[in-house]
Amino acid sequence: MANARPGNLKRFYDVNGWLFVAPALILVAAFMFYPIIRSLVLSFFSGRGMMMNFVGFGNIERLWYDAIFWQALTNTLTFLVIQVPVMIVLALILANALNNPRLRFSGLFRTAIFLPCVSSLVAYSILFKSMFATDGIINSTLMAVGLADSPIEWFTDPFWAKVLVILAITWRWTGYNMIFYLAALQNIDRSIYEAARIDGVPSWRRFLHITIPMLKPVILFTTITSTIGTLQLFDEVYNLTEGKGGPANATLTLSLYIYNLTFRFMPNFGYAATVSYVIVLIVAVLSFLQFYAARERA
Amino acid sequence: MDKQKVLGRITGVALSGACVFGATAAFAGEITIWCWDPNFNVAIMKEAGEIYTKSHPDTTFNVVDFAKTDVEQKLQTALASGATNALPDIVLIEDYGAQKYLQSFPGAFAAMDGVVDYDAFAPYKVQLMTVGDKVYGMPFDTGVTGMYYRRDYLEEAGFTPEDMQDITWDRFIEIGRQVEAKTGHKMTTLDLNDGGMTRIMMQSAGSWYFDENGDLNVLDNAALKAALETQAKIAEEGLIYPATGWSDYVNAFTSGNVASVITGVWITGTIKAQEDQSGKWGVAPIPKLDGVDGAGNASNLGGSSWYVLDSSDVKDEAIDFLNEIYAKDTEFYQKILVERGAVGSLLAAREGEAYQEADPFFGGEKVWQKFSDWLNQIPAVDYGIFTNELDVAVTSNLQSLIDGKPVDEVLKAINDQAKFQIQ
Repeated sequence: MANARPGNLKRFYDVNGWLFVAPALILVAAFMFYPIIRSLVLSFFSGRGMMMNFVGFGNIERLWYDAIFWQALTNTLTFLVIQVPVMIVLALILANALNNPRLRFSGLFRTAIFLPCVSSLVAYSILFKSMFATDGIINSTLMAVGLADSPIEWFTDPFWAKVLVILAITWRWTGYNMIFYLAALQNIDRSIYEAARIDGVPSWRRFLHITIPMLKPVILFTTITSTIGTLQLFDEVYNLTEGKGGPANATLTLSLYIYNLTFRFMPNFGYAATVSYVIVLIVAVLSFLQFYAARERA
Repeated sequence: MDKQKVLGRITGVALSGACVFGATAAFAGEITIWCWDPNFNVAIMKEAGEIYTKSHPDTTFNVVDFAKTDVEQKLQTALASGATNALPDIVLIEDYGAQKYLQSFPGAFAAMDGVVDYDAFAPYKVQLMTVGDKVYGMPFDTGVTGMYYRRDYLEEAGFTPEDMQDITWDRFIEIGRQVEAKTGHKMTTLDLNDGGMTRIMMQSAGSWYFDENGDLNVLDNAALKAALETQAKIAEEGLIYPATGWSDYVNAFTSGNVASVITGVWITGTIKAQEDQSGKWGVAPIPKLDGVDGAGNASNLGGSSWYVLDSSDVKDEAIDFLNEIYAKDTEFYQKILVERGAVGSLLAAREGEAYQEADPFFGGEKVWQKFSDWLNQIPAVDYGIFTNELDVAVTSNLQSLIDGKPVDEVLKAINDQAKFQIQ
């Protein structure tokens, strides 16, 4: 910039300004930048507890042959590929339905659907555990209506355990995404819908060709936050499986594996740091791809 | 704006920051202790503190109650970061993890072999806190195992308490079949996502996941193989009420669903909490593995010990406290046995009167006498430093054995998974 405003430089050297932002800057540096850099350095070390040695790319090599890591990665990506689209579509449909001005008690419904994501995580995990227990309400209901012959083994069968985790996170986070859509829907000019209706466009096409394109930035935002959230999935699995990621590692996620490497197994902070950088990498790549796919074509 | 003003402001900010950190520093004379389980470890430690305060009025105690995983997590984080002022003076560590902490954080814990007479304790407890020629920690409760069974259910199925003594696992399965046929109750409960039963069975034959050199001992481990096969057999026979997680497990026997439970002595308090079941329970030795050399009817599950942090500024006081109470005071052991069901590992404590008493809850049996007899028969094994890793490897492969995969292939899968995790 050739003609920068004259006040800029002066402002840069003003100590008072720096003092005002200093507390925030120091905190950000101490609790964000330092850990990021330190963990990156750490990922080149390996060892037991405090006895760490520099191993160069040894941890990355170890990752390659680590079957548990690959299983955790596969599990995490499975949750991502199935859960995020299901949740986004569900949230869109719910938001659209609740946005209907003729719907009665819409406030009540909105609250009911949003409530799960502000409920206590531990409380809901315990609730899910008792609901999905072998003799819990879900199994007895399924058997009463004839959908299942014998109790489904939600916690001991690898397949159903995955389904359970997906159900749990969908229940918890759908309402959260729905609120974003509802807010965005308020901003769409009703006259567009009116025009479409006069032109005789059926409601499902109005949803598909007006609502969804208009919501695109919000959908992009929720997809990326949900992707990041799912890649970091820890709490639900930890609480539902008592920290084990069982049965047979079927619900082990990358975050839970990092926890195990740090706290449950012989502590290897270096290797754990390497695994967490895998998550960083995947989040970066997926976010980039999503931005790329949703970019405005000129 | 002049420089002095700026400096003044910076100093102000720095000083207020320093005050926040300064306020958290501990002062001498107070011993801070981290442990878990309010009805057991916490209550017992408070009791011990009260006894010590009587003769040492200047010493005060701060017993902090965390969940076990939180204790481990906080301890590990503080040790790794070197933030020793965040650490307590005494910490409770589960025996399986002792070597892991001692070896991966050298110098973090205080050796106590100059002060404590370790000959007075059950040898297996001392072995697990020894590194080289140094002994760390104060042996505390044991996890000597027993088979708690419902007298009423077994009687209904036609068995007397004599039938339950020193049986084998095959006999256990046989009894289980009849119990289910005649009473409709499952014989026992088991959480197949938990490695506890495997560890009980393996140690009852004097074996562990590692040999005496600390090398992996999976492929040719007859006791481990038998332990896995036995569990798979019990599961296939449908004799277990499957439990998912701890509360489910506890509920299985407190609610009267199952006829027996095989676990560590520390469960006694939980069982006795069901007052309406008084007189309905009995205790027998755990079943023995069939066809395994050295297999016996005594084993161990869990148990923990107290460790003093080397960085503590009241280190000597803390060691003296542990030595006074836990290594000498047999009266204290009678009290915690009666009140909390804690079987300590101080051998002299077993001579006390509380150990001779008959317990009406268990049909008038002298249960404590039995447990202390079994305690002496537990084969000492070296838990090594990777028990958690092996536990995960076992539980993630046990299901495939139940589903019909040949046992040797399962052992190989466990071995492969473990080999990688323990490097």
